[in-house]
Amino acid sequence: MKRLLLFSIIGFSIVIYFILTVLLLPVHYLSNEQLVPQPYFEVILSDSEISLGESFRLDVVSENIGDYGDIHIVSTAFPDLIELDSVEIVTYDFTQSPVYIQLGDEIISGYSGGLESTLSEYPSIEAMNRPIHPGTKYHFELVITPEKPGSFTTYVKSIDIPHINSLSHYPDSGVLDHQNEYVSVYSVNVNP
Amino acid sequence: MTFFKSQISQNFLKSRSHSFLLLGNILVSFGILLVTVGGSWDITNHLLNKPETFFSPPHALIYFGVALSLIGAICSFIGWKNLQQFKIHYFFPLKIKLFGIALLVGAGPFDFLWHSNFGLDGFLSPPHLALIVGMFLCSIGGMIGISRYLEINNFKNSFRSYLLILAILPVWLSGSGIISSLSLPFSNTDYFNFNPEPILAFLIATMAFPFLISMSMLLIFRLSHYGFGMMSILGCLFLLIYSFTAIVPNFAIFDSVLFYSLNLIPFVVSDVILLHKSKKSLIFVGGLLGSVFYMVYYPYVMYTFNEVLLGKLVSPSLIYFVYFELIQTVLMITVIPAIIMGVFAVVISEKLSKKILMS
Repeated sequence: MKRLLLFSIIGFSIVIYFILTVLLLPVHYLSNEQLVPQPYFEVILSDSEISLGESFRLDVVSENIGDYGDIHIVSTAFPDLIELDSVEIVTYDFTQSPVYIQLGDEIISGYSGGLESTLSEYPSIEAMNRPIHPGTKYHFELVITPEKPGSFTTYVKSIDIPHINSLSHYPDSGVLDHQNEYVSVYSVNVNP
Repeated sequence: MTFFKSQISQNFLKSRSHSFLLLGNILVSFGILLVTVGGSWDITNHLLNKPETFFSPPHALIYFGVALSLIGAICSFIGWKNLQQFKIHYFFPLKIKLFGIALLVGAGPFDFLWHSNFGLDGFLSPPHLALIVGMFLCSIGGMIGISRYLEINNFKNSFRSYLLILAILPVWLSGSGIISSLSLPFSNTDYFNFNPEPILAFLIATMAFPFLISMSMLLIFRLSHYGFGMMSILGCLFLLIYSFTAIVPNFAIFDSVLFYSLNLIPFVVSDVILLHKSKKSLIFVGGLLGSVFYMVYYPYVMYTFNEVLLGKLVSPSLIYFVYFELIQTVLMITVIPAIIMGVFAVVISEKLSKKILMS
């Protein structure tokens, strides 16, 4: 009798274990909403007009206004440049070192997280933070010295990973860049 | 006078050599335990924070553990050298430990050089492989040394028999490290791609993890001469270590600690079943322990199966969504081979425990 009771308890425990771990709890966890990190940034340009040979500052303050995220990326790209010699980072407080992307480098595209890629058509600098907690702000500032007169353009965008939906990138509309991703456009007029 | 002093210390060493040897074994096992905990923490740290420098808290814990193991190996050697009897019984574990510690100590500077030349390395790299194999050998040496000490001194039913938990836990964890490094796709870096072939990784995880769980549990059961509660304590400590190094640091999967803690059930149930020490009970327990490997190795084992079954990109906060999406499919595919490997461990553990205890 005692043995039968023991076997019943053992059998019951094993059945409960498998029911909970394989059937019930997975359904419970899968019904949880995925965390959606939401990037946002503000850019301040020191000048709207400069003379050739002068520099201007581009100050980016970015933050996550959504849920906890794994990675927060802010990209600044320079479609008027061939090399990054005329761009200098003067302030930077992201956790990861900046990544310098040269013209022709293979880069991820279409918010695919690595499933799609393309070749870079102009240089850019990526600032990165891992992980990114809600409400945290990061800051980096560039000093740029344009090499030619005319309108000097800078593209700025931010992407948070996991990329769940359109909230996971900023801006979410407007101009598309070489990665087929939306960017905010900032221009400075360079006088000869 | 100097001669007299050295004579006293020689006599002291000879009289205490057995205890000194045990202390050496304990330090080796405890050191490796710290290394394995640091290793598991390091994987999580790389996944979440992608550290860019060699000098990180998990690395500090790993190298502190290596230092402790080195001291332990030296103590073991001094203790063994001064032994008056049973010298032959401790030679084999000492040999394994010394070989393991040589690999461990060599892996440190090798790893630093690798980091310096090739940047951030993946999970599987030549220095990491040397480190993991060194860990495994040291833990095996420590386990055999402690087990033989308890056997020779007839401490079967004493409080000291709980030292077996310290002896086997590092073997289980470092064995898990070897299997994980050969099956997880965490080894693709800018310079080298050491990621295992996905199908091969799938097979390794399916066969080796169930075998290792069952083997570790049954070894402690046999080495402790069927001590009740040993398997539950060992399993509980394993789960605690994985919880604190792989689940708790990841904010996005923190609530799955409840799910993970349920894994204590098969360990406790195994303990209770083996109150009745029949062959059938042993086979049942072996199969049961093998069958739960996908749950016990939560969360990272998912990456291996995802490579073949879904091929999704899984960032750390998505881990449990993919893990739970896969759980039923993985169990359907793997449960039979996992049970077979668990039962196979019953046979091997019997032979191995006899060799360890020299019975």
